[in-house]
Amino acid sequence: MAAKPGPSGMVPVGPSAAASNTTTQEYTVRVPLVSDRKKRVAMMRLPNRPPIDFSKSTDLSIKMERENNFKEYKTANDIDMMPKFGAGSEFGRDQKEEARRKKYGIILKKYNPDEQPWHLKIGSGKQAKKFRGVREGTISENTSYYIFTQCADGAFEAIPVEEWYNFTPMIRYKYLNAEEAEEEFSRRDKTLNYFNIMLKKRVKNEDKDTELDEEEKAAKSKASKSGKKRREFMLTDMDDWANISDDDEDIDEEDEDGDEKPRDDDKKGGKGKKGKANAKGKAKVKNSKQNSDDEAIEESDDGDYDDKEVDYMSDSSSSGLSGADEKNKKYEEKGVAEEDGLRNILNSEDEEDEEENKEEEDNEDEEKKDEKPAKEKKTGSESSSSSSGSDSDIDKDEKITSALLMQKEKGDKKKPNEKGDAGSSSTNTTDSKSVKRKGDGDAPPSKKSKRDHSSYSGGSSSDGITEDAIRRYLQRKPMTTKDLLQKFRSKKLNLTKEQMTHAIAQLLKRINPERTMINKKLYLSLKA
Amino acid sequence: MSQGASAEAKAQEARDVDVTAAGRGVWLVKVPKYLSERWEKLQGNGDVGKLRITRSNSKMGPQKPDVVFTSTDAVMNQPGTAPSIPRTHKFALTGVSNQNLVVFSQPHGSEQITIEGKVIQRAECHPVADDKYMQLKRKQLEINNKPKREIVLLQSVVPMYKPRSDHISNIEEKKRNKDTEKRSRLDKEKVMDMLFAAFEKHQYYNVKDLVGITKQPIPYLKEILQEICVYNMKAPHKNMWELKPEFRHYKQSETS
Repeated sequence: MAAKPGPSGMVPVGPSAAASNTTTQEYTVRVPLVSDRKKRVAMMRLPNRPPIDFSKSTDLSIKMERENNFKEYKTANDIDMMPKFGAGSEFGRDQKEEARRKKYGIILKKYNPDEQPWHLKIGSGKQAKKFRGVREGTISENTSYYIFTQCADGAFEAIPVEEWYNFTPMIRYKYLNAEEAEEEFSRRDKTLNYFNIMLKKRVKNEDKDTELDEEEKAAKSKASKSGKKRREFMLTDMDDWANISDDDEDIDEEDEDGDEKPRDDDKKGGKGKKGKANAKGKAKVKNSKQNSDDEAIEESDDGDYDDKEVDYMSDSSSSGLSGADEKNKKYEEKGVAEEDGLRNILNSEDEEDEEENKEEEDNEDEEKKDEKPAKEKKTGSESSSSSSGSDSDIDKDEKITSALLMQKEKGDKKKPNEKGDAGSSSTNTTDSKSVKRKGDGDAPPSKKSKRDHSSYSGGSSSDGITEDAIRRYLQRKPMTTKDLLQKFRSKKLNLTKEQMTHAIAQLLKRINPERTMINKKLYLSLKA
Repeated sequence: MSQGASAEAKAQEARDVDVTAAGRGVWLVKVPKYLSERWEKLQGNGDVGKLRITRSNSKMGPQKPDVVFTSTDAVMNQPGTAPSIPRTHKFALTGVSNQNLVVFSQPHGSEQITIEGKVIQRAECHPVADDKYMQLKRKQLEINNKPKREIVLLQSVVPMYKPRSDHISNIEEKKRNKDTEKRSRLDKEKVMDMLFAAFEKHQYYNVKDLVGITKQPIPYLKEILQEICVYNMKAPHKNMWELKPEFRHYKQSETS
């Protein structure tokens, strides 16, 4: 605006503009008298995104209104909406309220609609963008803002800005609150095995439908001709409900078959659909909560899925509540890492370790006298029994390295021997958990280890370090060379440490496993 | 309240916004309070000063213009304002950066909203920090630091009133009350008529209020009330009387 020199209001100042490249213009600044002001000027601070330019959106309808908070005001100030006269009114209610307020020194603030936030609506219908403008209070506390506009005569007119409004887009979609977000966040990174989920669901349904299947077959053979059109006869859920009430009465299929004819007549000519609808109804009664897929009930024929659309009429498929149920259920499923199968793999390692440990203990008892030097080496600084001492050392390493290895550690802790140990006290807390985990996995390990003991120890101690053994270990999970060494050491081979490392190194060269660095440690692994 | 509701409805109404002037660019100037106070009090033609804009096109390319504001004598020598203020101010020009500031106005007594323009330039009106300005700041500081309440030594006796057990006005009031206190029993029919008339206006009454309306002794009134009314013991209208359902002239559903 200042760029174009005002024609009349400008007074060029000759001498001051003596320097070659400077131009000076002078304007008068005018402040309209308070009594002459016809309007209140306010500032709106609009968001940058989406960009808003009123000059470019002249074709859109732009509307502004004050937010209506009258109701909130009333509830906040305990002003009831009771009628003043007639039914429901109390005599002298207002006066009493007033007296009460006076007594407690409550001063009511009057509701002023002009002090409510603005609502700005750009456009109309669904494309409308809505903004909410909240007044900013502190901005003009210590200073005042003026709008300088140029008048027709070139002079500037300064008009004070009385209010500032900060406009922000109104969020109209539903977003998660803090708790919900937290919950969803906990589900992050969880890989779900959808195949497994679906399979489970199917198995569940089949359990419930085995008896229904037979019943259905019988019904089908009877009404085989109209079989495919049965569904189409169902117009509303009501038909289903009617069947449900019937189903409660008849218990076995013979009964039903006998009844079928007369009841067919009852049902507004719904001929033939009877049997299946019955089955359906029953299924619904049983798995109403469980969101049954009706498809699972009938045997799948070609073309049976053609009239699938009808299924959506039943409220079991897509009603809100069961939908939410379904959602929860889905999330309750275990992640892939927690599944039984994988856990068994992980745990089998633990079991083996245990067996080894057990075996080790047994051996220890027998060989205590002749293996003294070896034992002393193992115990190291810790005063606990040899096995646990060495184990806990590894544990500490493993704890840092990876979650996969953690599983093993938990398994180790199961040994009763270790409970009182000072060395293992730090990890003892996981004990109960691991026991539980074990429990749902296999038979008690102690028994198993006893069973396996003879064959296992015989084989391993005689053979020593073999390529097969190393392969077996590496296929199971990635290991460092240290871990490997530990494995063989715990087998009580009559070898020195140097000999063992040498043997392992030789074998590793032959096997040539995959090498990966995790946490600055070299892990060896083999693809099964 | 009804009048308030209509005003509220008017304000809450969605109004079309006049955007014809939306393209106009305006300056937003931050003005020190001492200056704006004088501007607001100004009488006369409203001229507050001159704005001098100096542009220099050096070889380095266009530079920020130098804007100087000089107040008029009318502002400087305004009566009723004690501290003298600096005459010249410099405008420090700042861009709007990424703010989208739009000016809108609302005429007094009208609900029409007009977009007045878009801020294309922000400026801050800085006083030139000379002795005069320092003097002004000093005075302002002194004024602000002055305690709001001060101890004053009293020179004369202050009139005091001694406490009284009973004021004359209270005695009069009591006398009047005593006269009306004597409430005689009227005909039951008449009292009932009065009660029904009262219950036509409102549904719920306190006993005290009914005593005031009928001017009957409380035991007698309660006796009659037991006949035609029910006593509410529960929350929404606790301790209040309402007519028995068979006497009501309004529908049952409304009473809930």
